[in-house]
Amino acid sequence: MEAYIYNLVNLIAIYSILAVTLNFIMGYAGIYSLAHAVFFGLGAYTSAFVAQNVSASILVSFPAAMLAAGVVSLALALPALRVRGEYFVAASLGLQVLSVTIYSEWKGFTGGIGGVLAIPPVNILGIDVFRPAAFAILSVTVLVLVLLIVNALVHSSFGRNLRAIRDSESAAASFGKNVPVIKTISVVISAALAALAGALYASYLSFINVESFTLDTSVLVMAMVIIGGTGTVAGPIVGAAILLILPSVISYFDFLPQTEIGSLQQIIYGLGMTLLMIFRPGGIVGRRSGT
Amino acid sequence: MSMTQPQQGETLMQIRNLDKSFGGVKAVDDVTMDLRAGIVTTLVGPNGAGKTTFFNLITGNLPRDGGEVTWLGRDIAGVKPHRIARAGIMRTYQDLRLFDGMTVWENVLNATEYGALPIPLGSAARAARRERIERVLERTGLADKRNTRALDLAYAERKFLSMARIMATEARLWLLDEPASGLDPASYDRFLTILREDVAGGVTVCIIEHNLDIVIGISDRIAFLDRGKLLADGDPQTVLNDPELAKIYFGERT
Repeated sequence: MEAYIYNLVNLIAIYSILAVTLNFIMGYAGIYSLAHAVFFGLGAYTSAFVAQNVSASILVSFPAAMLAAGVVSLALALPALRVRGEYFVAASLGLQVLSVTIYSEWKGFTGGIGGVLAIPPVNILGIDVFRPAAFAILSVTVLVLVLLIVNALVHSSFGRNLRAIRDSESAAASFGKNVPVIKTISVVISAALAALAGALYASYLSFINVESFTLDTSVLVMAMVIIGGTGTVAGPIVGAAILLILPSVISYFDFLPQTEIGSLQQIIYGLGMTLLMIFRPGGIVGRRSGT
Repeated sequence: MSMTQPQQGETLMQIRNLDKSFGGVKAVDDVTMDLRAGIVTTLVGPNGAGKTTFFNLITGNLPRDGGEVTWLGRDIAGVKPHRIARAGIMRTYQDLRLFDGMTVWENVLNATEYGALPIPLGSAARAARRERIERVLERTGLADKRNTRALDLAYAERKFLSMARIMATEARLWLLDEPASGLDPASYDRFLTILREDVAGGVTVCIIEHNLDIVIGISDRIAFLDRGKLLADGDPQTVLNDPELAKIYFGERT
């Protein structure tokens, strides 16, 4: 039971990092990305590669993951952010689809469909961290750091610029803001921080493959943000926790037909999300509608 | 109303033969004028005369088809809107375009934050900025609403917030697109006071306005646009007393 709880804590922390970093661009800059799993995956593959070939030290593998994701996000952000919002959604979807193909085929880096096996545990000051309890401390610490960084940014002039751009791009430009540059920086920061979730994930499971980094994951993370509350501090974490705990709760009820759990889960998700959007469009943590 | 004679300030902006068409319709047609420091120029004309398009061409929101616009002697063709704003030309929008999800204070504060990355200010600079914003909120009557989201403000308050944003900047030229439309008389007075004070403080204003009380109360000069053409450009009495222009303005086209 204890191991089960720690496992859940680790997964919630990792997905919370993804949701918090997606919320950073969705909730504050109004940039809707369907490519968040790409940066999750890139962080995971890069840190796994570095851990196997260079060093498993957190001071090497984690920054490498951030760097790779930041650079690749630039390739998406630079052309796509010069056009209107809808095009960014389409471009991010394109990147997501393209990346899954690359992750499935580039055997030297991703191990292809089979994935990467035997990823060494992350090393902090000479100590290998792999037991779920110890890893939970690490993953929650990283989550807290990400939250602090995002919060500091949101409350700085940079965060105000993002919200100004979300509310009116033309007015923001009329007050001297370089809209494409500000949007690009926000996407790079979001991707680099999302890569931390990937690095944690790779090290924690010691095995990764492309199935964790598909469009389904991008949609799941977006659902976490929306259900929890777009543009709120606690919302993404609440959303991540609910969507990760829900499957276990459903399988806990013995009277439900165990073979149909999967489809039942989908029905509950879909229904829950629809009802939430009708009665609480701001999400669980967000403002009530009309206030 | 007292008539201020246009002072012969330095020419800030030169506009020469400015042209813009939308699908064969000339929105701005060969307009030439100068904007001089310290002068309030009012653009009048019927709806669709090209007044807002004229602003959009100056601020880089729209590319022009032909002509020349210089600011402090420098050609600003093809310069991006945010660069034009930083050069000292700022505008308001007829539909306001407030930062609706942000508070009144954040709206005004953010109007002064140009840089992409946060620049740490010293405590003296921060205090000076805070004082400047306080003063702007006081003058626009928004001091009590500082923590209200722009979205939740009443109509007149939203108009004043639009003014407050531009007042907080250090822009030398203000382009105001119908800033006083729909205001009640008390708000008119407040608006006129603000404008007079800031013009006295060195700001140059170009304003689109339909309300003749405002036009007479504030203008040093009136430019009359119709169907994209600059039909008249001169002191308020001459332009407003021209019977031909009055006919166009009030819809009795000959």
